[in-house]
Amino acid sequence: MTALELPTTLDAALGRPGELRAGGTDLTERRRLDLSRGTVIDLRDVPGLDAITWREGQLHLGALVTLAAVAAHPDVRARYPAVAATAAAVATPQIRARATVGGNLLQHVRCWYYRRPGADCLKSGGSGCPARSGDHLFHACFDLGPCVAPHPSSLATALLAYEVRVEVAGDREHTLASLYGDGSDARRHHMLPPGALLTGVLLGPPLAGEQAAYVRATSRARAEWPLVEVVVRLAVAAGRIDTARVTVGGVANLPLRLAAVEALLVGKPAHEATLAAAAAVAAEGAKPLTHTAYKLDLLRGAVLDALERALAHTPTAATPAKTPEPSPDKPATAEPT
Amino acid sequence: MSPPISRRGILRGTLGGGTVLVGESCAPKIVGERAEAPSLPAVGDAGPASHALEFTVNGAARSITVDPERTALELVRRDLGLTGCKEACGHGACGACSVLLDDVPVAACLLPAVALHRRKLVTVEGLAPAGELHPVQRAFMAEDALQCGFCTPGFVVAASAFYTRWRAEHGDAEPDRDTVAAALAGNLCRCAAYDGIIRAVQKASSGAYEKPPGPEPAPPRYDARDKVTGAAKYTVDVQLPGQLEGKILRSPHAHARVRKVDWSKALALPGVFGAVDLLHGGTTLRFVGQEIAAIAAIDARTAEAALAAIELDLEVLPPLVGMDAARAPGAAPVYPTRNTRKSAPNASEGPLLPLGWDGNVRGPFQLFSTAKLKARRAVARLREAPAEGVLVEGTYKTQVQCHTALEPHACVARWTDDDAVTVHLSTQGVHAVAEDIAERWGLRRDRVRVLAPYVGGGFGAKVTLQLECVAAVELARITARPVRVVLERREELTTGGLRPAQEIELAVATDRDGYLQGVTARAFADAGCSVGSTSTVLMRLMYAKAPKDIADWDVVNHAPPGKPFRGPGGPPVFWALEQAVDIAAERLELDPILLRKRFDPNPARNHLYDWALSLKTWRERQPAQSDRGRFRRGMGLAVGGWFYFVQPSARVQIDAGPDGIVASTACQDIGNGTRTVIAATVAAVLGLAPADIKVEIGDSSLVPGPTSGGSRTTASLVPAATMAAEQLRDELLERAEQLVGARGVAVPGGVRHPRGVVTWQQLLAGSPPLRFVGTRKRDKGGYFLPPMADIAPGRYVAGSLQIIEVEVDTRLGKIRVLRSHTGIAAGHIVAPALARSQALGGVIQGIGYALYEERRLDPNTGALLTGGLEDYRIPGIGDIGELDVHFVEDGYERVNGRSVGLAELVTLAPAAAIGNAVAHATGFRPRELPLRPDRVLQGLRG
Ligand SMILES: Cc1cc2nc3c(=O)[nH]c(=O)nc-3n(C[C@H](O)[C@H](O)[C@H](O)COP(=O)(O)OP(=O)(O)OC[C@H]3O[C@@H](n4cnc5c(N)ncnc54)[C@H](O)[C@@H]3O)c2cc1C
Ligand code: FES
Ligand code: FES
Repeated sequence: MTALELPTTLDAALGRPGELRAGGTDLTERRRLDLSRGTVIDLRDVPGLDAITWREGQLHLGALVTLAAVAAHPDVRARYPAVAATAAAVATPQIRARATVGGNLLQHVRCWYYRRPGADCLKSGGSGCPARSGDHLFHACFDLGPCVAPHPSSLATALLAYEVRVEVAGDREHTLASLYGDGSDARRHHMLPPGALLTGVLLGPPLAGEQAAYVRATSRARAEWPLVEVVVRLAVAAGRIDTARVTVGGVANLPLRLAAVEALLVGKPAHEATLAAAAAVAAEGAKPLTHTAYKLDLLRGAVLDALERALAHTPTAATPAKTPEPSPDKPATAEPT
Repeated sequence: MSPPISRRGILRGTLGGGTVLVGESCAPKIVGERAEAPSLPAVGDAGPASHALEFTVNGAARSITVDPERTALELVRRDLGLTGCKEACGHGACGACSVLLDDVPVAACLLPAVALHRRKLVTVEGLAPAGELHPVQRAFMAEDALQCGFCTPGFVVAASAFYTRWRAEHGDAEPDRDTVAAALAGNLCRCAAYDGIIRAVQKASSGAYEKPPGPEPAPPRYDARDKVTGAAKYTVDVQLPGQLEGKILRSPHAHARVRKVDWSKALALPGVFGAVDLLHGGTTLRFVGQEIAAIAAIDARTAEAALAAIELDLEVLPPLVGMDAARAPGAAPVYPTRNTRKSAPNASEGPLLPLGWDGNVRGPFQLFSTAKLKARRAVARLREAPAEGVLVEGTYKTQVQCHTALEPHACVARWTDDDAVTVHLSTQGVHAVAEDIAERWGLRRDRVRVLAPYVGGGFGAKVTLQLECVAAVELARITARPVRVVLERREELTTGGLRPAQEIELAVATDRDGYLQGVTARAFADAGCSVGSTSTVLMRLMYAKAPKDIADWDVVNHAPPGKPFRGPGGPPVFWALEQAVDIAAERLELDPILLRKRFDPNPARNHLYDWALSLKTWRERQPAQSDRGRFRRGMGLAVGGWFYFVQPSARVQIDAGPDGIVASTACQDIGNGTRTVIAATVAAVLGLAPADIKVEIGDSSLVPGPTSGGSRTTASLVPAATMAAEQLRDELLERAEQLVGARGVAVPGGVRHPRGVVTWQQLLAGSPPLRFVGTRKRDKGGYFLPPMADIAPGRYVAGSLQIIEVEVDTRLGKIRVLRSHTGIAAGHIVAPALARSQALGGVIQGIGYALYEERRLDPNTGALLTGGLEDYRIPGIGDIGELDVHFVEDGYERVNGRSVGLAELVTLAPAAAIGNAVAHATGFRPRELPLRPDRVLQGLRG
């Protein structure tokens, strides 16, 4: 028998034994599969977590803001184009209308050995990773830890390209790095202690004249988990690249920042040759599994693609959302900078 | 071969009403047990219904109390009875469950019911005021944006939100295709009615389908209105009073011996009513997911908990997963004895021929070779003297493709008497399955009634009596309650049906002038633990004069069995053959169409060649590998040929009288448009509108109708319906003569006589009930083979020609289909809008096969990995490109009805056309499907 709690304040939601629920798009499936048991603490009635606001020149995304709201928000689109484009490319319109920032960042892995009845893997409490010795076609090519499922959060990949403060009630403030750890603890999906509640993320200020792009490599046109995804932010001044942030997902059990690529960009002239040279080192340090070597090629290609798009100032992914989708939740508020 | 042991032992007979054993001597033994005193659980497994919700649904305020685990989908379908909202995946990937939450589409399957509190919920039933239509519904009807209709409510709901948003922002402007695709990216349609859907949404959004001043126009599809409004009831929607939910216990291992199945603890649980064995005396489990037993309980969660309480004593044995493991030297035989071999499931549509076995390899099946030695010699000669002609050799591989109908296999069975059962079944053959049920349970045929008013797709997976039906019927018998068994998507992707993977070693030999000298092919099929996949026979349909040495083998292993899938054997064989022909054309430096004209005496396809040669897009196609940049475009062509089948027993009955004209047959609509075809045919004879004819199908108590498989529905029904309608017409002509005293002639709507026109309605008004039964007469010249098991292969093969244009992204390895042009020679087209939609659906399924779809098993354990629609990827609305269809209708004058069926034909050639297009674009000649980005990148790197 299971129970459901519907706390009406943040405090009442904290420290409860059980699993929090925001949009429920991840948790509902795991309940069906028996991967989540016990009490559900639903955040439906907890107020104040669903706003997009400016705080001293930084953008704050409440934990319960939906991905649809992120993608549609004019300020996000104008000042944080990489975040808007990423949110717009996740999953399907129906899912984005419910999926939240907090839920997306803290969702559990999508590994096909994990999400099935009777899962027996490291994340479900077993003793080994069946993907490593089995079929890992869509898994990591940077083998960072015992679990080889790629980190699922597209939003995390985008946020990693910013200085981000992750606000948590019931725990200290986190960076993305401390939120996810180093991937060595295969049993964990993130490092928040039980009972803690992510209340929002604060994104560092956008760069002046920032150009960004999001690219996801897939088979089908839409609504497919990425084989590789790349977020690029560039600031170019007087024909030179001042700042560069390149982050990638789908390749490791964590979202990764590609410092080697960034290093080859910063201070260099903003032209094709620079981008090509930088993209060429995108897979540096990769350790592919038997069946994921192809992702190295794909990664180099996707990084180059994203760099080119950013430079060409195409802020959105291959499939721009032409009409923004409204969110079923209360309209997000925003104050101008 | 010991049956499962229950707590009370196996009691044969009906002692104490406890254990029941049914079956004739020929029928498999079925053992089951009823819970002694089934008690209702005080509180469901999911906890007490403790959460009070207030919300509005379709405008009306509701308050309802739910349990903690309830999803909005369960609440809408079960508590509110709004069954237009469908479940097709259960994990957010298909959109069949779309509802509007405060006007925004969301997936009800992932929406906790408590999220509805104080919100506004709208389902498909509430999009328009009662009796009216939403403009999007009107557009779906008019543009024929649907086939089976199972996905339609979800699409309509999602599209209605887009419509509102778009019109608010853009007024009457028409959105482009990609904008519509982006808005509907969360909805999947397995019938692939996408092209019509895009058109419908574009037009509705530009204001073209606002409420008409007069009555609603009749749609091209007879039953479209029921499908767009959610009124159409599918098997999964049936809810009978007292109905129990049945769930199936499946093997967790790919290979195991069953020592004991003990369900006593399960039966003792509250809310559990009965259990039945599904091993039928078998003791070896041969794939993960194999059915072991089934349990009926008060609801699904209770049944699942009961399954977990069944004690399985298994001896786990090492599995062989895949062909390589099964063929490896020393591999243990999956079927070690002659008897076990006989128990291997049949993956084919026909009876199994006795063939030899060598370990796990069964075959060769080579009945259809012709001038075998000549073919071999032609190939051997060119191997030695390559300059004397062109020899194209290679091995082509294809993957397992799952049928993936959006309505899963589903059955609700209810015994109405000791010897009478009514079975609601998602089936492609109400008539045939009723016969099977009668035989299996030893019932009189008229005591079995199979009902399937609407079927959410089949594609070959629902042709025969399947285990979900066996389980439901048996559980219903044991529990004396109606029992519903519906497969979940994971089960569906395991045992719902699949097209075997293949490896085809092919050689095509031509002389120096490009005349075909011989074809040799050895095809190895991985249909898991099943046998009988014969594919090379299809090469006999092609390039008829050439010598052919063609043979098939099955390689059995511990994986789920295959089932006939739309064009069984076809897509793999054409993938190989039509690429080989393309390579030959390349080497001969000949236009691939002209080369095929040299090979091909088939008159139907020759019409298509001429059509294709006349296409500007073909004439002006750029030379191979013209693009050198990142994105490279190419155009490929492939052709196909398919049998046409007739069911000689097919009947159509017409009842006419003062109340109108009713045409009926025990056939079903699986999206192909059976009602439309019958109504159109009868109406055409009488010069009436199709809507004037009432059509009844989906009920086995009607006159025998065809099974919807082998593309035979239209070809079987049209002549029978015509015949019955003509009999009615002739009878009414005579009546008119008696009435007016002069011989008249039939004209549209009635009979013209010297003094005016008397309408059919007038003639029927005073008439006693009339009944005519039309049959399906033989074609002129008879059939290719005499009818076997009530199916006759026709003499005249259907032909298709497929041109596909692709763009290859050489950086990200992605292939995008830009345009496809499909030419079809399948005789007379009865309902053009529907035929077009069905044809495009087949092409798009072919695109899915070529680029995305792939069932994957864990190589170590044989467990299914692609268990949902996120991982098993059918094409989405953004993957189709632009499509057109061209019908060549003449050439089948000797066929009764002049129609030969196109459902399967259209899905044969797309993969090969894409392969040829990729080679044309990039020089990379693919051999293995699907063409995933990793394969493309690897291929391009050489
Ligand atoms: C078809 C499909 C495709 C998808 N594709 C993508 C994709 O490409 N990229 C991608 O990133 N995602 C993808 N997703 C996943 C989707 O984005 C997530 O399911 C969603 O973001 C989860 O958000 P939620 O609010 O529904 O989370 P929930 O299901 O409510 O929760 C998820 C987890 O986060 C925890 N949690 C939620 N909120 C908080 C909080 N405030 N504090 C602490 N813990 C919290 C919950 O306890 C739970 O463990 C896809 C999903 C589907 C169904
Ligand atoms: S059933 Fe809900 S999305 Fe498929
Ligand atoms: S019409 Fe869409 S699934 Fe059949």
